Amino acid sequence: MNPRWVFFTLCWLAVVVGGSTMLLFHSQTPGETGRAPEYWPLASRIEPTPERPTLVMFAHPKCPCTRASIEELSTLMARSQGLVDARVVFFKPEDADENWAITDSWKRASAIPGVIVQTDSEGLEASNFRATTSGQVVLYDAEGRLLFSGGITEARGHEGDNDGRSAVLDFLRHGKSVFTATPVFGCPIQEKTPDKIAVKQL
Amino acid sequence: MSFRTEEAINKRAEELFLAQEVANYRRTDRMFAWLLVMQWIVGIGTALWISPLAWEGRVSFTHIHVWASILLGGAIAGFPVLLVLRLPGAPLTRHVIAAAQMMASALLIHLTGGRIETHFHVFGSLAFLAFYRDWRVLLTASIVVTLDHMVRGIFWPQSVFGILVGSHWRWIEHVGWVLFEDFFLLLAIRQSLQAMRGLAERQARLEWTKSTIEQQVEERTRELRQENIERKRAENDAAKAQEDLLNSSRMAGMAEIATNVLHNVGNVLNSVNVSAGLVSETIRRSPAPGLSKLSVLLQEHQEDLGAFLTTDSRGRQVPAYVAQLSVHLKASQEKTLKELASLQVNIEHIKDIVAMQQSYAKVSGVKEVVDIPSLVEDSLNLNVGALTRHRIEVKRNFQKVPPLNLDKHKVLQILINLVRNAKYACDEAETADKIISLSVYLDNGSIKISVADNGIGIPEQNLDRIFQHGFSTRDGGHGFGLHSSALAARELGGSLSVRSKGVNQGANFILELPLPSTTSVHEQ
Repeated sequence: MNPRWVFFTLCWLAVVVGGSTMLLFHSQTPGETGRAPEYWPLASRIEPTPERPTLVMFAHPKCPCTRASIEELSTLMARSQGLVDARVVFFKPEDADENWAITDSWKRASAIPGVIVQTDSEGLEASNFRATTSGQVVLYDAEGRLLFSGGITEARGHEGDNDGRSAVLDFLRHGKSVFTATPVFGCPIQEKTPDKIAVKQL
Repeated sequence: MSFRTEEAINKRAEELFLAQEVANYRRTDRMFAWLLVMQWIVGIGTALWISPLAWEGRVSFTHIHVWASILLGGAIAGFPVLLVLRLPGAPLTRHVIAAAQMMASALLIHLTGGRIETHFHVFGSLAFLAFYRDWRVLLTASIVVTLDHMVRGIFWPQSVFGILVGSHWRWIEHVGWVLFEDFFLLLAIRQSLQAMRGLAERQARLEWTKSTIEQQVEERTRELRQENIERKRAENDAAKAQEDLLNSSRMAGMAEIATNVLHNVGNVLNSVNVSAGLVSETIRRSPAPGLSKLSVLLQEHQEDLGAFLTTDSRGRQVPAYVAQLSVHLKASQEKTLKELASLQVNIEHIKDIVAMQQSYAKVSGVKEVVDIPSLVEDSLNLNVGALTRHRIEVKRNFQKVPPLNLDKHKVLQILINLVRNAKYACDEAETADKIISLSVYLDNGSIKISVADNGIGIPEQNLDRIFQHGFSTRDGGHGFGLHSSALAARELGGSLSVRSKGVNQGANFILELPLPSTTSVHEQ
């Protein structure tokens, strides 16, 4: 075999393995995750369900990774069999009209039984629950105590079995889970402007 | 089939098998080159469709998947395509293709968000790689899949999360399914290779058979060519022999004709001789000497001729003597004239005989209008001496038939031959009355000439062979006369046949000459 071609092959392998690894790094790198309040925030205008746990997912309507989170929510709702009420809160810029948030993710979420979809102008509700990454889920029990906070996908935009979904189902079925928090894979719900960073720091 | 032949066929089969393998490698290389390019394009389209943009609040930018599909996808497809162009059919090319195809699967799975349906691409690719019919290629692909899943399943979650997640060992299940498919693909590859090998062996045998047949055909053609040359040579020899025989026969015939002619001329010469003798005797006995004495006596008495004639005793006998002398002279003259006339007739006869011989001695091959009965008569005339010597009676029964335009010499040759054979047959027979009957008659659109004899006849077993070349029952015969006569009859467009009731029952030869068509008659 010509050594020159072997060398080229090794170079090629290095390039494609390196590129794949970089892509893998990206997909497995979670977004910034904020710790949700231990109790349902009073400032929130989202109404929890008094008699059973309430799940809230904060999402960016145009984030492609969030589609996987919506699909996982669909699976979760199907498997929870009415044990939980769910809300999906889609970010919307204040100056944008309502149609800005009506995307495939919105439509898909609206079609899930037991799920109420609403917009979150300028991400105020997300801020109330300290959710910063699209796809973040918070689960509160009927008394308003935080049970779980985190993502329900294993990687960016990747569907499939994952610890977050299992944890939520464990809480709903058994009242406890090994995991109370998982990484969230998705786009930042809001852009990181100096003002907002400053607000967050406050 | 010899061991060496079997060994040669096996060697050729191996060559064909290897050539077919290389052709298959190159063909599959080309198919994968197209597939890789298509996958690259599809990957870019998928990225643009599923995740064109990443978002941060109200701000968007190109999603990393788009860049990955273009750059990483291009790198994955580019190098194998280059290898296909530069090293088609090489082992390195197909192994790189196998690895690239699995990486393309991984990229597509990634771009589609890990959809379980996209995992089917892995299994489809493995099946497609089986087109190479090389188990090593499947091994390479399987190793790449295994490493990919292993890294994702084991090392990555640990490195990122620091924990072992619930699906930690799932990569083993995935690899298990890959091996499951590999097992059946390897079986298919094995069967396919066996079929290829069988095909190569059959083709090798076919080639060997074809070459053998071609060789046999070539040898046979050479033999046939040689046989053809030899046959032509034999034909030439036979033709030459026939020509020699014809010449011999012709010479013999001419000699016989010459004999007959000489015999006839000899007979006539006898008469000529007799006539000449008689003329000579008549002249020798003429009273010319007495006339001379009378003349001398009269000259002696010319002075007293009157007295001498009246007084002298001898003188008184002169008138009576003169009268007697004139009677003798007249009788002698008449006799001489008669013999001279006979001599003239005989000389004319000799002239006719010679003229007839000259007319038949001409070169044959020229057609002329011939009166058949006259020709038959001529054939008899040419044999008349022999027929007369052997006291053979000739009977004629000539019907009126139209003249024919043909080669007179050939017909005459046949007839002379038949008459001569009839004469021999009669000679050898014990019968006292030797008869040859010649007939000419019209029958079924042709003129038939029958030469029948009451001679020794022909045994039934010889009837079929009588016209064969070299067949003769006569001592001194060379078996050519009837054969050449039959050939001559065929050349004339007719036929020669024979009938005989057996030994001592005589024989009848019939020469059939076709009448010309109406058109031909008019032309004549």
